[in-house]
Parts: sequence; structure tokens; C-alpha cells
Amino acid sequence: MLLDYDRLGWLKVALLGFTALVAAFLLLPVVFIVLLSFGSSRWLAFPPPGWTLKWYQELFADPSWVEAALTSTRIATMTAILAVAIGLLASFALVRGQFRGREILRGLLLTPMVLPVVVFAIAIYAFFLRLGLGGTTIGFVVAHTVLALPFAIIPIATALEGFDKSIEDAAIVCGASPLQAKLRITLPSIRIGVFSAAIFSFLASWDEVVVAIFMASPTLQTLPVKIWGSLRSDLTPVIAAASSLLVALTLALMIVTALLRRKLQT
Amino acid sequence: MSVEAQQGIATPRIPAGLGGLLPALILIGLFFVVPVLALLLRSVTDPAPGLQNYAALLGDGTYARVFFNTFLVAAVVTIVTVLVAFPVAWMLAIMPAALASILFGIIILSMWTNLLTRTYAWMVLLQRTGVINRALMGAGIIDQPLPLINNLTGVTIGMVYIMLPFMILPLVGTLRAIDPMTLRAAALCGASPLAAFRRILLPLSLPGIAAGGLMVFVMSLGYFVTPALLGGTSNMMLAEMIAQMIQSLLNWGLGSAAAFILLVVTMALYALQLRLVGSKRAVGGA
Repeated sequence: MLLDYDRLGWLKVALLGFTALVAAFLLLPVVFIVLLSFGSSRWLAFPPPGWTLKWYQELFADPSWVEAALTSTRIATMTAILAVAIGLLASFALVRGQFRGREILRGLLLTPMVLPVVVFAIAIYAFFLRLGLGGTTIGFVVAHTVLALPFAIIPIATALEGFDKSIEDAAIVCGASPLQAKLRITLPSIRIGVFSAAIFSFLASWDEVVVAIFMASPTLQTLPVKIWGSLRSDLTPVIAAASSLLVALTLALMIVTALLRRKLQT
Repeated sequence: MSVEAQQGIATPRIPAGLGGLLPALILIGLFFVVPVLALLLRSVTDPAPGLQNYAALLGDGTYARVFFNTFLVAAVVTIVTVLVAFPVAWMLAIMPAALASILFGIIILSMWTNLLTRTYAWMVLLQRTGVINRALMGAGIIDQPLPLINNLTGVTIGMVYIMLPFMILPLVGTLRAIDPMTLRAAALCGASPLAAFRRILLPLSLPGIAAGGLMVFVMSLGYFVTPALLGGTSNMMLAEMIAQMIQSLLNWGLGSAAAFILLVVTMALYALQLRLVGSKRAVGGA
């Protein structure tokens, strides 16, 4: 009976209670930070003595925060475009190609996801120092694309595995060129995978801290580097305001994903 | 059988397949494999050729402490994560769809929220004058603020928070794949709920627990951000030590050697996980 929801009896009450506690635990920091960002206490007293928007004003009045956010957006966008393009080509080869060592190559391309980021961070830091790419936008984008590639390949390859290749073949039989068939038949069919790949690789770059800390220069900082620097000096509520905007962005991405999925699936 | 196999219109597949991989292989080869190998080389050549960096790391009590502490934290985090995740995944696997989608929403929100944001929240919540200490003191449970941050407690709370989704999501898949009939049969044959849990549900979900647990353990071993912000100086973890050796001490030889040790341990455990679940499902299978 343990897997029958309606027949668990008292056990269900206990397990649901525990699950609710865990859900609260998962929500706590997110809700807390948003509330805190509107609180008037500089010392982060909670519940706040009053409500204010001054931390948001301080945030937007400081050009270094705005600039960091713009830098992050720029780097994450370029990373997502590159990772999806390279990941798309690689996924076709990994799913459809029949050559020896395919599984090994797949493993190799997914390794950046498994290797501790700090190892990659110092490796690429040393490498880019030698090439003169440290502290440059290109350096950031290349390093982040390495880290984002697995997040692009996994959803695209999964979607491609679920796609019946004989439909593409049928288009070719009917006179389409292989490229036309791929662009007009296959690509639209795996668009959910491609879309997930774009979101995941964008977030992989946007959220990335460790490589960014090593790569950043005084003139080129991403948002996580800026937050990291502020966290190390003090816990100012301005960070809460910046964080709340990031939570809003996450929520927006979740809603867009859910809506698009619904639309694409029907 | 596909159309092309029947009609023989196949374009030569092998070169085409490899051609598609070329950009990815150049990227990973040039900007991942080469830098990591260069780092390995540096660990045996900087400041002089030889294994003295490894000898220094493995022979010194201070470093031994860091290694021990890293494994301890990773083990504690893994055990707590498994214990907390299992009941939640169990409920998620069988609860009504509407309720489950709310819970999934909360899990995804927590997982997708910026890592530093979540860690910042815990830094504020756990500090001496933080909400949790105040609430506990207000309720009269404690009279002195508990030391919840800059120690193992803080790291464990922060890390378990981050790892939970990675354990819950794959476990739901494992639990959903179990046929409820097996448990009905056990009940019909007179098994108590405890016996059914111990002898059927737990063994059947063990592959999922092992795979997820191993993933959490491996991720925890190399984690940098959360331990650096929530941990204390007396229980530094390996990733933080590596970053410090490079960034503050500029000791490239020692830092590279420590990084390489971390790499070997992680990759060995990853290989073990691949054997447990197969390469396709090993990473990111949610």
C-alpha cells in the first residue's frame, strides 16, 4: 500500500507534513530575501521596522551595479547562442552518427559539467593569462561556453532521440534537400529541446561565480562577481535588492518556459 | 527500419557525423583539455621538476585536515540530503498531479534562483542576530544565540539546501518506475508497512538513491562558493584551499597539485556512477 496515495493512512499525514516542511525550507530564503529588500533596516533586522524602496534606489543609482548586470546579460546571451549552435551540431552527430568512440566523445563533451568548477577555473585562468585573454569579454564567453555546452547538448540530444527520423527521410524522399529537411522538419520538432538548451546555457553563464571571480578585472565584472565582492565586505541590503531582481528574473523565466512548453506541445 | 536503409539513399554518414562534432571538439579540446593538462604539467614542474608538491600536500598535517574536512562535509551533506529527499520524492511520486506541480514549481524556483542569492539569504538568516536565532530565543528554546554560521552547521544547511533538488528530482523518477502492485501484493501477503518498506520499497529505490547520493557527494567534494561563505576558517574545504593557493598565495605548483588530486577523486567517483546508471542518465537526468 505504500505507493497508493489514498491508502497510506496515518503515514500519509506524517509524510505530507514532512514534505510541507521541506517545501517551506526551500521557499524560505527566496521569500525572505524579497521581504528583506523592502525592509528599512540597514542592519537587516527582521521583521523590518518599516518598508522602503531606498535599497532599489541605491542599486540603480550605482553605475557599477547596472554595468555589472549589463555585462552579465551580454556575456550570457553570447554564451547561450554559441552553446546552442555548437550543441545542435554536436547533438546530431552524437545521436545519429555511427562511428567508433561515440560514447567516449559524448562523455568528453559532458565532462565540464562534472569536473569541479574550481579546477577548470584555475586551469583556464592560467591559460588565458598566457594568451592575454584574461579579463576580456571573449575570454569570459569562451570559458562560459565550455561550461554551458553540456547543458545545451543534453536537452537537444534528448529531444532528437525522441524524434522519428523517418519523417525527415520522408521529406527527403519527397524532394527536400537533407539540409532543408533538417531545418524545416526536424528543427521545429525538437524546438522544446533547443529552447531548454538556450535557457539552461544562459543560466549556466548568468549564475556562474567561480570562473568569473578568476576571470574578472577591475573594468570587467559580471553580476555574480559584484555580489561576491559586496558579500565579502558587508551584508548591505542593496544585495537583497539585487537578489530580489534576480528572483524576479527566475520567476519570469519559469513562467515563459511553462507557457512556451504548453504552446509548443499543442 | 528507416527509409534510407530500405531505399539506399543514405548519404555517407560517418564523415557527416564527425563534421558536426568538430566545433564542439575544438572548443573542448583547446579550452578545456589543453588547459587542464597544462595544469597537471605545472603541478610536477613548478617550482622545479618532481613530485615535491604532492609530497608536501600529502605529508603535511594542515593539508591532511583540509582533505579530511572536505570528505567529512561531503559525507554529512550527502547523508542528510538523502534522508530529507527520500520522503519528499516518495510523496511527489504518488501525490495528485495538481499538488505535485506546485511542489515541483517550488523546487525549480529554489534550484534556478541565483546561487549567491540563496547563499546570501542563509548568511543573513543564520547569523548571530539572525531570524533563526531570534526565533529560537523568543520561543525560549535557547538563551544564547547558537553558532550557526562559519562552522560545519552553516555549511551543511547551505549545501543541503542546494543539493536537495538534485536528489529529489531523479529519485521521483526511480520511485515512479516502481510498480505499486508489488507493494499491494506484499500487503495482501500480510507484510506490515515497515516490512514492506524495508524489504520492497527501499531495495527497489536503492539504485536511484545510490546514483543520486553519489552525484551529491561528488558535487559537494568540489564545491567552492557555499563553503567559502558559510564555513569557517578552521574547517576550510579543498576547493577553497585551491582558490586561495592560486589567488592569494600565488603558489601555482601546490595549487595545481591540489586541483589535480580533486580531479582524480572526482573523476573516479564519476566513473563509478556511470557504471551504476549508464552514461546517458548519469548527469542531469531529471
